[in-house]
Amino acid sequence: MKTENEIMEIESLPLGKIISITCKGIKIRIWRSLIVVSGIVLAIAFLSYILCSDGFAQNVSKAAGSIVEQGSPEKIQELKDQRVQTYWMVGLAILISFVGIVNAMLMSVTERFREIGTMKCLGAIDSFVLKMFLIESVIEGVIGALLGVLAGILIAYVEGVFTYGSGVWSLLPLAWLLGVVAFSFVTGVIITVVAALYPAREASKMMPVVALRAEL
Amino acid sequence: MSSDTVISIKNVKRCYRMGGEQVWALDGVDLDIQRGEYISIMGPSGSGKSTLFNMIGGLDLPSEGEVTIDGAFLTKMNQKQLAYIRCRKIGYIFQTFNLIEVMSALENVMLPIIFSGASDEEAKSKAIGILDKVGLSGRYDHRPSQLSGGQQQRVAVARALANTPAILLADEPTGNLDLKTGEDLIRTLQKLKDDLGVTVITATHDNKMLAASDRVIYLEAGKIIDIKTKEHLSFSFGKIG
Repeated sequence: MKTENEIMEIESLPLGKIISITCKGIKIRIWRSLIVVSGIVLAIAFLSYILCSDGFAQNVSKAAGSIVEQGSPEKIQELKDQRVQTYWMVGLAILISFVGIVNAMLMSVTERFREIGTMKCLGAIDSFVLKMFLIESVIEGVIGALLGVLAGILIAYVEGVFTYGSGVWSLLPLAWLLGVVAFSFVTGVIITVVAALYPAREASKMMPVVALRAEL
Repeated sequence: MSSDTVISIKNVKRCYRMGGEQVWALDGVDLDIQRGEYISIMGPSGSGKSTLFNMIGGLDLPSEGEVTIDGAFLTKMNQKQLAYIRCRKIGYIFQTFNLIEVMSALENVMLPIIFSGASDEEAKSKAIGILDKVGLSGRYDHRPSQLSGGQQQRVAVARALANTPAILLADEPTGNLDLKTGEDLIRTLQKLKDDLGVTVITATHDNKMLAASDRVIYLEAGKIIDIKTKEHLSFSFGKIG
């Protein structure tokens, strides 16, 4: 009778191979992937738009503050209220991004339970399934967040031209703008990967029979 | 346990929770399966045959009892060892084929070979060889949806054979096939058993499949109620026919 130690284990596939399998999957499911990406684009566009417009407003009021001598207490209170309102808006934007992206990732994992079960019957180990979904979420997160940031900032500037006139182009310091880009992009990628992590982990740990039985 | 026992099931129980109630899908099953045997598991739906099938294949683990394959306890294996058994020792054929829809026939067959650690080139040439053998040359790049039911099942058979497993598990393999393709499949399974000594285990309620079997296990309410050997089967068939 064999002992446990003698039982062979399956080798993990090299990362490059998992990436190539994942990319093939994304390409074949391109429309499904685009829907997920567009969810991320929308969420992050909203976030970067809010941040960017807020930047305009802050810099305008800064400029106004230096011209109109030290503001009255009422004016300062009004500005403070505006800040609080903006924080709420940014918080809301992040929340909306989070919910939207979690929903997209949850769907894209759960609708593939059967496929996961089948792969496990053929010898896929847990880490393969997990890595596959994480790689996919990183790719979708990076593309979606990048497009989202661009779209959000573009919309903010187009709107800014109408609100502030052509002066809007010089309103935001470059460092500020880069800050908005970096914050929105990183938020987008992190939310996407975190959103994929939970369903992917659950899916990877399932016994094949549970995954195969899953009805959607 | 004789030395040629490939699968041994000892007092296996499997409990599911349905609502607040415990349902015993398997209620103490003992069975030894010899290398190269052709076994059919028969029983009405809900008798536990799919559950038993899943236990044998390491697709699910028992609530109680032991399952061993080649003397190794499935219940004590880690996930990488289970994956090794599923990849190298067992080939699965499902009633619903379970081909991966987004992959071509060739890629479906390549997948278990790649999981076993082979290179893409190796996997490709091996998969092409097997697809040719099951009569699907020229259909390599077809997606499952572009193939007929019989062809899909042949891709599934090719995929099950990809790593030359010692055990072939087939859950209602003829359930979704017409009479003729079903008979072809049974002949294929029988040929595998005769030529390569593959142990074939099927869960079925298709009477056609019984004629090919060495033993038929009758399951009801999670228990084995009868085991008939080939001789006994042909005798009773004679009486009926």
